Amino acid sequence: MRIPESDQESAHSVSLDSAPQAGPSSLGLDGPGPSNGHTNGNGFTLPSTNGFTNGAGVVGNGVQKHGKSVAKVSLLGTALYADGSYVDREEFVRLVIQSLRDVGYIESAATLEAESGYTMEAPEVSQFRQYILEASWSDAEDALTRLGVTDSDGLWVCYHLCIGSVPYVFRYQEAKFFIGQQKYLELLEAGKTTLALQVLRNELAPLNVAQDQLHFLSGLMMCSDPTDLRQRAEWDGASGTSRRELLTVLQRYVPASIMIPQRRFSTLLQQAQSHQRQQCVYHNSPLDSKAFSLYEDHQCDKDVFPGTTTAILDVHVNEVWNIEWSHDGSYLASASKDKTAIIWRIDDPSIRDYTAKFVLRDHSFPVGCLAWSLDDSILLTGADNEIRMWNTKTGVCTLVLDSQHGHQETVAALSWLPDGSGFISGGLDRRIILWDAEGNFKDSWGETAIRVTDLAITPDLTRVVAVGIHYLYDLATKQTELSFPLEGELSSVKISRDSRYALVNRTQNEIYLYDLHSGRLARKFAGQRQGKHVIRSCFGGIDGNFVVSGSEDGNVYVWQCDTGILLETLPGHGEGSVNSVAWNPTNERMFATCSDDHTIRIWEAPLRESGSRVTNRSSSNGKGKTRQQSNGDGVDFDSAFGAWVDG
Amino acid sequence: MGMVYRIYLEGERIYGCANCKTHLATIHSMMSRAFNGQHGRAYLFETVVNIIEGEPIDREMTTGKHTVRDISCCKCRTVLGWKYDRAFEPLQQYKEGKYILERNLLVDVQ
Ligand SMILES: [Zn+2]
Repeated sequence: MRIPESDQESAHSVSLDSAPQAGPSSLGLDGPGPSNGHTNGNGFTLPSTNGFTNGAGVVGNGVQKHGKSVAKVSLLGTALYADGSYVDREEFVRLVIQSLRDVGYIESAATLEAESGYTMEAPEVSQFRQYILEASWSDAEDALTRLGVTDSDGLWVCYHLCIGSVPYVFRYQEAKFFIGQQKYLELLEAGKTTLALQVLRNELAPLNVAQDQLHFLSGLMMCSDPTDLRQRAEWDGASGTSRRELLTVLQRYVPASIMIPQRRFSTLLQQAQSHQRQQCVYHNSPLDSKAFSLYEDHQCDKDVFPGTTTAILDVHVNEVWNIEWSHDGSYLASASKDKTAIIWRIDDPSIRDYTAKFVLRDHSFPVGCLAWSLDDSILLTGADNEIRMWNTKTGVCTLVLDSQHGHQETVAALSWLPDGSGFISGGLDRRIILWDAEGNFKDSWGETAIRVTDLAITPDLTRVVAVGIHYLYDLATKQTELSFPLEGELSSVKISRDSRYALVNRTQNEIYLYDLHSGRLARKFAGQRQGKHVIRSCFGGIDGNFVVSGSEDGNVYVWQCDTGILLETLPGHGEGSVNSVAWNPTNERMFATCSDDHTIRIWEAPLRESGSRVTNRSSSNGKGKTRQQSNGDGVDFDSAFGAWVDG
Repeated sequence: MGMVYRIYLEGERIYGCANCKTHLATIHSMMSRAFNGQHGRAYLFETVVNIIEGEPIDREMTTGKHTVRDISCCKCRTVLGWKYDRAFEPLQQYKEGKYILERNLLVDVQ
């Protein structure tokens, strides 16, 4: 807010009284010192460096503290810069003052207020904030009117007669209701039921707003204890963040120019970051100071995209159909047409001597699906209609699941429940079966309308999304919530981390991204080939920014998830299809692919260390071999690998 | 190759492999019941699924010389019959591209 000239002294005294002593007293400069002032275009002397004029007795338009005063600088116009930019100087300065205060630069904030002539907010506002945080409810209600939240002829009525489409007359009542509600909940929490009831009857009810909420609040009287209350009210109590949250709610009723929303500058900077993030096509770095500097626009380096093969795992003797990373990202499990599954150890990126830790051999049919338990101690494998449980520490098969209750046809998908309490399997016999963590049959969905080819559980445990031949099906607590009839066969489904999107491959060269909330198709990804085979895709990168898919043309395809733009077509695998892809869950710069060429490839950013050459050696334990290489010295990968494909 | 699931047929009557119940053909694609195989009665089908075709060989049949391939179940590999690649007798050429499944090796499945 702008302070009229005549009010300036009092406004300053208010803001400075609440602040510690202004002035860099520790500097102790006593004389005129170096010439640290300069003259700006307006002909004012701007004290710099120390920021204060030395010597006592300088009293004028400025603030005086410890004998040092700050002169108000008068500037022309209202813009921050005079070049036609639309950033309002007063708004900018007030946000800076707010930020300075937030981090504790109280003196600097006071100095800026003095020098600019702007105050962050009127004393009434900070007082109001204080009332809420200290639970001085009646003071807070009184203060509301002083802040212009009113339904009678109040101070600033004409200034903000209405905000949005809500007539102002209701606003005071509503704001009061929120304050009363907090008061009521805190009384209930403290066990003062009688007082709480009084608030409900005498303060909340007469406001005549939000009848449903009133009903809900009175129901909370029945809560057995404070914990129960907090849970049912979804409210974290007097000692939690609830008062701050109340302030955020009340903010809506006070014009932002009077009570600046909390951390407003930071909010704007975060919006800038988020905008830059969306513009960053190859985005794959965390939101930290290294990747996001305020000094320059964020842009991820395309060169660090994991588009280079850094290892080839070559132990399977037939097509590799599926791969899954352990949750800790240290192991990769692969499923092959050769009737084995292999657990690969991939936990030391500096060595890249990836070995087949265990070859799991007991299946009599090709292995098609895999699932690691949440603690990675158990691996499930599915081959034809058989499900096996393996101890991943010993490589021993600990259980063949009950075939009596199990699937009659091929098990196509296995997925652990996000809470670890068990897992579900889906099969071409149209059944979805729930098993406990020990592998005991628990329940069956009965016949679904589809032959299930893949399924996934949303991380928030609200949905099972099953895809199959003829339909994509969405099952919530065994009730079909949504179903999308689609032409062709659907071969793969993955769920985004936020439980919102389902990524589905179908046998028409198409990958669909479904919005599970709206039930609509959000995006299509095109370019890869999928005709009659089971091809899988996945989300990848630090925040699911990438979509990766195998393809029948032997390439790996990578798109930007938000836009559907095809970013990379990665060659390397040999003859046949790239069947599945899996992004490392703990290393955002690594993913794996598996192919009909019998191999698995690990993809990373080009290795920077020099000296490591392309090699082809067997691991010492004889269980497996890997090929490693680096392009540190410019080895041409495609040609180097092409010769090895059938090796 | 690549990963494929076995095909599941829809219809009122589905013939499957007697050994492993893999879906093979529907009654709608049946062209004739009047054939004989090594195990007795055999059926001629327009289309058959989930089979692996062997190498072509020339074979003398009661109706003349034919180029045929053995067909076996893709899951259990039981040889179920044969496929006609070529019939040397003009009157027999309607069988080209069609399949014979032996009745005794079939079972009704759903
Ligand atoms: Zn069979």
